[in-house]
Amino acid sequence: MVRFKHRYLLCELVSDDPRCRLSLDDRVLSSLVRDTIARVHGTFGAAACSIGFAVRYLNAYTGIVLLRCRKEFYQLVWSALPFITYLENKGHRYPCFFNTLHVGGTIRTCQKFLIQYNRRQLLILLQNCTDEGEREAIQKSVTRSCLLEEEEESGEEAAEAME
Amino acid sequence: MPAPAATYERVVYKNPSKYHYMKVCLEFQDCGVGLNAAQFKQLLISAVKDLFGEVDAALPLDILTYEEKTLSAILRICSSGLVKLWSSLTLLGSYKGKKCAFRVSQVSPFLLALSGNSRELVLD
Repeated sequence: MVRFKHRYLLCELVSDDPRCRLSLDDRVLSSLVRDTIARVHGTFGAAACSIGFAVRYLNAYTGIVLLRCRKEFYQLVWSALPFITYLENKGHRYPCFFNTLHVGGTIRTCQKFLIQYNRRQLLILLQNCTDEGEREAIQKSVTRSCLLEEEEESGEEAAEAME
Repeated sequence: MPAPAATYERVVYKNPSKYHYMKVCLEFQDCGVGLNAAQFKQLLISAVKDLFGEVDAALPLDILTYEEKTLSAILRICSSGLVKLWSSLTLLGSYKGKKCAFRVSQVSPFLLALSGNSRELVLD
């Protein structure tokens, strides 16, 4: 079959400064990644990676970013991500770094991974939280996500039983 | 009578040489431009950095010999970086605003092969 195959890189933006994530914008991020690839991999890398490059999903609150690139050159993009050390917006420079969580072939697999990852992160947050009010809120979200997980599984079993 | 079954042994010799050696010469459009060895190496590294970025500019590249009068040199590069070095030498157009070009006369995985060049052979 003839189609262009892509790789989706699920990354997390980690930063000390809380204003850094809020100033995330898809155009700012796209230009930042392209400049970094041009610096690290030269003219060849910049040209090769910019054909199928796009920022597909961006969450300013959790700092999750989904980047798309062509399958042939995804390693160039992946290897350039650790060289991003700061985010510049409106003259302010925030030190940050990108943590790559998952590389998938489709958006759906990245979404499945993100759901599992968020569930695990909720449990970790529950262990580490100190405030009682926060603890109750997190426990509520954890139970809600467990109920959703059971619903999904029973839905899949029902679908298999029907086939 | 059927021929006896012959046993064959196939020996595959993959080039184990880690380095490739290139004999290059730098030509300028106008005469009178001189470079010392450090400037020559700086030129090579900046050519690779333009095309392939900082990661490949850090490839272990060595200048084994350099002649300032003829601007020719013998370079050593690890085998995985040969294509990158050669392509960036091809695409290098100018040095400090003056037009120049790299001429690659010999490439070999063995240094001894660069000692003789049949193109420049003079028969008595």
